[in-house]
Amino acid sequence: MAKKVTGMAAEIFALICSLFMLVPFYMILINSFKSKEGAALVNLSLPDEWHIVENYTEMFREGGLGLAFRNSVLLTVPSVLVIIFVSSLAGFVLQRRVSKASKRLLMLILMGLFIPGQIIPTYFICYYMHVRTFLAAGLVLIASNLSMGVFLYTGYFKSIPRELDESAMLDGCNGLQLFFHIIFPLLKPITVTLFIITFMGIWNDFGTTIYFLNSSRNFTLTLTIYNFFGVHSSDWNLVFANVIAVSLPVIIVYFMAQKQIMSGMTSGAVKG
Amino acid sequence: MKRKSIYSYWMLLPCLAIFGIFFMLPAVMGVGFSFLNIRNVDFSTATFAGIGNYKNVLTDSGMNIAIKNSFIFAFVTTVLKVTLGLLLAVLLNNKLKTTNFMRTVFFLPAVLSSVAVGLIFTAMMHPTNGIINVALRAAGLPMLAQNWLTDPKLAIFSVAFVEVWKWTGFTMVILLAGLQSIPEHYYEAARIDGATGWQKFRYVTFPLIMPAFTNALVVNLIGGLKAFDVVQTVTGGGPGTATEVFGTLVYKSFGSGRYGEGCAASIILCVVILIVVLPVYRFLTGKEVEM
Repeated sequence: MAKKVTGMAAEIFALICSLFMLVPFYMILINSFKSKEGAALVNLSLPDEWHIVENYTEMFREGGLGLAFRNSVLLTVPSVLVIIFVSSLAGFVLQRRVSKASKRLLMLILMGLFIPGQIIPTYFICYYMHVRTFLAAGLVLIASNLSMGVFLYTGYFKSIPRELDESAMLDGCNGLQLFFHIIFPLLKPITVTLFIITFMGIWNDFGTTIYFLNSSRNFTLTLTIYNFFGVHSSDWNLVFANVIAVSLPVIIVYFMAQKQIMSGMTSGAVKG
Repeated sequence: MKRKSIYSYWMLLPCLAIFGIFFMLPAVMGVGFSFLNIRNVDFSTATFAGIGNYKNVLTDSGMNIAIKNSFIFAFVTTVLKVTLGLLLAVLLNNKLKTTNFMRTVFFLPAVLSSVAVGLIFTAMMHPTNGIINVALRAAGLPMLAQNWLTDPKLAIFSVAFVEVWKWTGFTMVILLAGLQSIPEHYYEAARIDGATGWQKFRYVTFPLIMPAFTNALVVNLIGGLKAFDVVQTVTGGGPGTATEVFGTLVYKSFGSGRYGEGCAASIILCVVILIVVLPVYRFLTGKEVEM
């Protein structure tokens, strides 16, 4: 009986805690339906008059969301694919080779897990290599995510026996054939994890893209929110509609695959 | 046939090329730049600055506040995220009916962009209309209503709160995974030995989630020192320079063409991270218990 009461108390306490998380979402949703004057009060009451269609059409017209969505996809998808391809290959060689040189290289690459990227010199390098906008942001984001990729893959390769490589080699595979036909398909679980970590990281990136994507033609979704707020800082109804429209795809994907996303995003920290 | 030949270093080349050019090379150049006065990307006016940039970053009151704030921010956010995360993880580990729902809700902010979260709190912390102050006044506590983001003394803590709100659920999930890996019979043994709830936590739970705890702590410390997104969105380093952190200082230096100083700030951040994180990591990993 006492246990039941504690259980109930715990449930109620947990629900109250969850209000701290949910109220902000409710607040932006309800205010995105109000008139400019109503939303300026940013309170939790229902709108006196509903401005759903007006607000969202105006926000879509001014926010450039279609283009920004395209830009986000254009930046994120190729970057993630390159990270997976490049870091799985590198992880394979670095885990399989047992030499001092490969150990040192691995250490060097894993330093990237701690050390922050030096953004100003990176900007200079891109400038002199004539690498601009998406290519620059993409390459820098790839470079800063390779450490995580190599870290996850080298850990995972320990569970794949070397005998497999040897028997494939006896069948006449060379290194690349071995990797792509036999090894890579076995990496699926950790590839999914890395995909999630890097996709979320690059899709939501602000700290790198703000340096390289600096005209409205190039803005990603995250940058459009920032910019939209700069222009419409007194129109909270539109700003909130913008935040909702930009966040909704992410929230929908999250609800569809929350188990994978949670374990994926945290596994970099759990396995560390 | 030599055995090594199938693990050719050629397969490493793409990784080394990208990592070398866009991560290692900038790191080395950053050290060099930090000793130069550079105002233009073409180096036309570059001169040797000695330790001048470091001196500026460390002594100029508009800049060295970034160091102080980064420490405050990293410390406050890490302590709160780990403490609240641990409390929530222990709570949700009780197999409540609502566990799944809670986990989903608490983790939700982690998938959103920091800019979105920052804007939500910019509105909530508005001094007159923001719901935080409105709620405090309605609860009969008007003295607690503050100028959350415009009071220079308070603003860095308000921004830290936003970061805590965003990432506590993430920390909770890391710790919850650690909790759920503890075998049930350990608790049964403790119960048979007559352990109290606190003793079970202190002598069974805590030592066994130490690996997860260490990782949560280190990840949050590094994240806190590197903070940029939330601060830039919510206050942009202001009012004045009251919430300047390393990330916003580098961004500002970049924007105003003070590249040398930006690099010096960035190098100091690197050194700080290594000094703070490595000993913490060693100390904590030394305390882990084998399962």
